[in-house]
Amino acid sequence: MHAALYVSKTGLAAQDTKLTTVANNLANASTVGFKRDRAVFEDLLYQIQRQPGAQNTEETQLPSGLQLGTGVRVVGTQKQFDYGSLQVTNQPLDVAIDGRGFFQILQPDGTIGYTRAGQFHLSNQGEIVDPTGLLLQPAIIIPDNAESVTIGTDGTVSARIAGVAAPAILGNIQTVDFVNPAGLQAIGGNLFLETAASGNPIQGIPGQNGLGQVEQGMLENSNVDIVEEMVNMITTQRAYEMNSKIVSTADQMLQFVTQNL
Amino acid sequence: MDKALYIAMSGAKHNMRAQTVHANNLANVNTTGFKADFARARSMPIYFGEGHPTRAYALEEIPATDFRQGPLVETGRDLDVAVEGDGFIAVQSPDGTEAYTRAGSLFIDALGMLRTGNGLPLLGNGGPIAIPAADKVEISGDGSITVIALGQGVDAPVQVDRIKLVNPPTDTIQRGIDGLIHLLDDEQGELPADGNVRIISGFVEGSNVNAVNELTSVMSLARQYEMQVKIMQTVKEDSEASARLLQPAS
Repeated sequence: MHAALYVSKTGLAAQDTKLTTVANNLANASTVGFKRDRAVFEDLLYQIQRQPGAQNTEETQLPSGLQLGTGVRVVGTQKQFDYGSLQVTNQPLDVAIDGRGFFQILQPDGTIGYTRAGQFHLSNQGEIVDPTGLLLQPAIIIPDNAESVTIGTDGTVSARIAGVAAPAILGNIQTVDFVNPAGLQAIGGNLFLETAASGNPIQGIPGQNGLGQVEQGMLENSNVDIVEEMVNMITTQRAYEMNSKIVSTADQMLQFVTQNL
Repeated sequence: MDKALYIAMSGAKHNMRAQTVHANNLANVNTTGFKADFARARSMPIYFGEGHPTRAYALEEIPATDFRQGPLVETGRDLDVAVEGDGFIAVQSPDGTEAYTRAGSLFIDALGMLRTGNGLPLLGNGGPIAIPAADKVEISGDGSITVIALGQGVDAPVQVDRIKLVNPPTDTIQRGIDGLIHLLDDEQGELPADGNVRIISGFVEGSNVNAVNELTSVMSLARQYEMQVKIMQTVKEDSEASARLLQPAS
């Protein structure tokens, strides 16, 4: 059958995948700590029909060849870890990381998930938990007689206890960093998992060794740029239309030959 | 059989091949750093044997790749680099040899190796580039990579390596079957780095496919194809007519 049909099919499939990433980015335009994805395209293998430079006769060489490309594919999606803007919320348990780093969240299966969404809550035991109730690691328990909680830029959590002059230090929020954050596996729920591509987590104190400081009373917005996504959507749609035009043209050519011969 | 039938068939067949070239260009209209292929048909006349030299078969070929600059697209990401003007970024192809690309959407893997979006290691002054854990990586116009190491102040930037940039004449290179640019003459091995090639960080180069050109070519090829089929149809009618004439009267 017509090779152009298969080539433009790969074009349609790749634009489809790209539109899915654009749609997911736009859907998460207001998700705290969300990191946008970008589809990475690559041209597929080429088939050599006539080898350029091959001997045409003993004396002469073919000056140019015919290498037919076989289309395009999405080789992967790249998470873009540039920082979202910080938004002031004044909630004591909203924390944002200003710079590199991730919070550690204990998963139900005992492994650690990583997140930049610092919308924390208190459980009925006084523990600091994420919006789905998973524990922040290392665990910090706020006593029920605490009047106010302060989280320092280095992650030190302290509370003022009624009737006690000196604030009580309750623990430290430690953050981790990865050599290649783009290699983390996103599992939804604002969480990422360590993979072989991301490298091992490097734990540290916020504000030291390149880790960003934690900022209390702030949240990191999604880093999705709406205008950029809309433009991506338009170019994706047009590329899709052009590829479907090729499909219909190739189909018409085949139709013409079958009907007229 | 009438030789016109075969000539029309060669025309139609090579029209279809040309469609594949344009389909591949259009499929890559959004591929970072993609360079469009040209397509052209060449006549292959047949001057053998007795008789009048009337026949010329069509032969579709890709004479070259269009190495013109694609549009620069601003991304703001430090590890996105685009080549400004002529030149290529040197990468290590899967078989270990040096190859060239213009797709400069880079990332640093878990071992600190600088790789292209599809995972090929970039080449520096002496082989693949390793980047230490860093707060910030800056890539300057000549390919120099400067990092601010983790925990060090902004006043202590360190130059780690320099991306190998080359600028071979376009008649000495071709696109290989892996989609990367290779030297036509394999024995030449590796190209020397060229200090005049400029890259710009925070941008990627879009595909240089001209969608309007491609669509117009597709339409014109479709019509040419119909004309070839029309010739085949005419030959068929002619041979039917002569077969009828030659039938004994019943």
